[in-house]
Amino acid sequence: MTAVADPALADAGLALADATPGSVFAASVLQTGFFAGLAEFLRPSNLAGVLVNGLAKSALFVMIAAGLSLIFGLLGVLNFAHGSLTMIGAYLGGLVMVVLVGGATGAWARLGYFLVALVVVFAALAVLGLVVEVGLIRQLYDSPPIYQILLTFGVTLVLEELVRIVVSFYGLQPISDWQEALGTKPAFLARQTTLGPVTVRGLALFEILLGALTVVGIWLFLTRTRYGLFIRAGSEDDEMAAALGIDVRRVFTVVFALGSALAGIAGALLMWDPVWGASVPLAAETLLPAFVVVIIGGLGTFRGTVVGAVIVGMADAVTTWWFVNVVTWTWLPEVTVFLILVGMLVVRPQGLYGVEEVGGH
Amino acid sequence: MTLLELDGIETYYGESHILEGVSLSVGEGEVVALVGRNGVGKTTTLRSILQLTPPREGSITYRDEQLVGLETHEVADRGVGWIPEDRRIFSQLTVAENIRVAVPDRAAVDAALSLAYDTFPILEERQGQDAGTLSGGQQQMLALARGLVGDNDLLLVDEPSEGLAPQIVADVGEALAEAARDTTLLLVEQNLPLALDLADRFYVLDNGRVVDDGDAEEVSADSDRLRRYLSA
Repeated sequence: MTAVADPALADAGLALADATPGSVFAASVLQTGFFAGLAEFLRPSNLAGVLVNGLAKSALFVMIAAGLSLIFGLLGVLNFAHGSLTMIGAYLGGLVMVVLVGGATGAWARLGYFLVALVVVFAALAVLGLVVEVGLIRQLYDSPPIYQILLTFGVTLVLEELVRIVVSFYGLQPISDWQEALGTKPAFLARQTTLGPVTVRGLALFEILLGALTVVGIWLFLTRTRYGLFIRAGSEDDEMAAALGIDVRRVFTVVFALGSALAGIAGALLMWDPVWGASVPLAAETLLPAFVVVIIGGLGTFRGTVVGAVIVGMADAVTTWWFVNVVTWTWLPEVTVFLILVGMLVVRPQGLYGVEEVGGH
Repeated sequence: MTLLELDGIETYYGESHILEGVSLSVGEGEVVALVGRNGVGKTTTLRSILQLTPPREGSITYRDEQLVGLETHEVADRGVGWIPEDRRIFSQLTVAENIRVAVPDRAAVDAALSLAYDTFPILEERQGQDAGTLSGGQQQMLALARGLVGDNDLLLVDEPSEGLAPQIVADVGEALAEAARDTTLLLVEQNLPLALDLADRFYVLDNGRVVDDGDAEEVSADSDRLRRYLSA
């Protein structure tokens, strides 16, 4: 917390001496000065690095939040179990990789196995989502929202405890990242890659690619398929959709399964990221940013979720750079994201693209 | 031949008793008007048929099949369409998507779009536009078009002229008359001249009960018979 991380700033005499956190904040601002920090931030290599990191975070956030947003948009259910589904996806993806990947497995084979893991996670989480919707959520569609919140909160407690038991049984620490799974990623994703003036993590580029594919895939599904049309119609007015012959309850089930599968896919990707990793606390760690993203974008709108994820991801990357390299308060980036959330709730409670009332029923 | 028959239906909203033993029938190929003041249960009657607000007692048969107990989409699958009172177009879908979503058979989409655009040419001009950006009259045309393209044998039409300019009311009446050539209509309408012009028979609803019925021709010359139930 007391050392300036950027060598350029340190060379310029901007490093801070040991001090208490409060005095560090005040002193660091005084010592570095806003303009010195800004000049450093605007260097092309730093700016490009922040952009790539921001896009990588945006990609992760959109993958985490997309399912939550789809489910709320159609069913009107705020699914508190969403983070648990991401966590299960991380462990399941890790399990597939740990089983398939050996020490001698090449980088491209590892990538191929990861695609297998994605398919397995997608299918398994879709089935789990289907069971939860048909067995539990469906009973409460006509009840007040608080019942659905309590139910999904209960589901998350049950799922987390089950995973904790299973993980502990196999000798893993539930609260620590699963290192063996982290180590299954191909070497080129673990390395730094130089692209022009900027050096970026290979994994960040992979996350951007997968996030972009997810956004395009969901967008094509919603806008170019008949089922996507039914989902968008049902999200606006489920009574009218039913009166046109659409089996809205079946659409609800499909969307809940799809949203759960997307949460699992995000988890499988996070399993490889050392900032996140497969662990039981991943459930809460992902649920919070997912809520922030969908609230900023507007509950239930996919376009809003994408824009919200980019705003949160870029804000996180920019403030992380500033607070790591200039001000040295490393927990402040998270505060900034929540400040954006508070500002949005005050100025435009329905979010950027939200309507005042969402949910098909 | 009777297409639709309601027999003694009792429908509630919560504890509010809205329909108190409503019975009526609609023959195949007929246009039947359901008239009455605001709040007497006309819309609830249509919602009961669609099972959106299922009756607690009584029976609703369509082609001799019981509708009570079915899901709404199952009623729609049997060929019962709905043009609701407040249009209820999907505002975030384009005009063309609003029509596509109403067509059960994927192969029939192009023909449905042609039918809708032939009936209301303005919709073709606005086909790529979000439906929520249309004017009120254009939204009503879209709601009608969506009902007309649905391959329905029975259309439940709720207040199609409400809040529209006279010229648009005339267009709506023309479209309904055209639809009535090959579709049975149960029409809820407070615009008495329009209702009686289209209808073969009528029912008058008052306080959740059918209080009068007859041939439309009987009352066109004696509209006081209706007006005592329609005046506030």
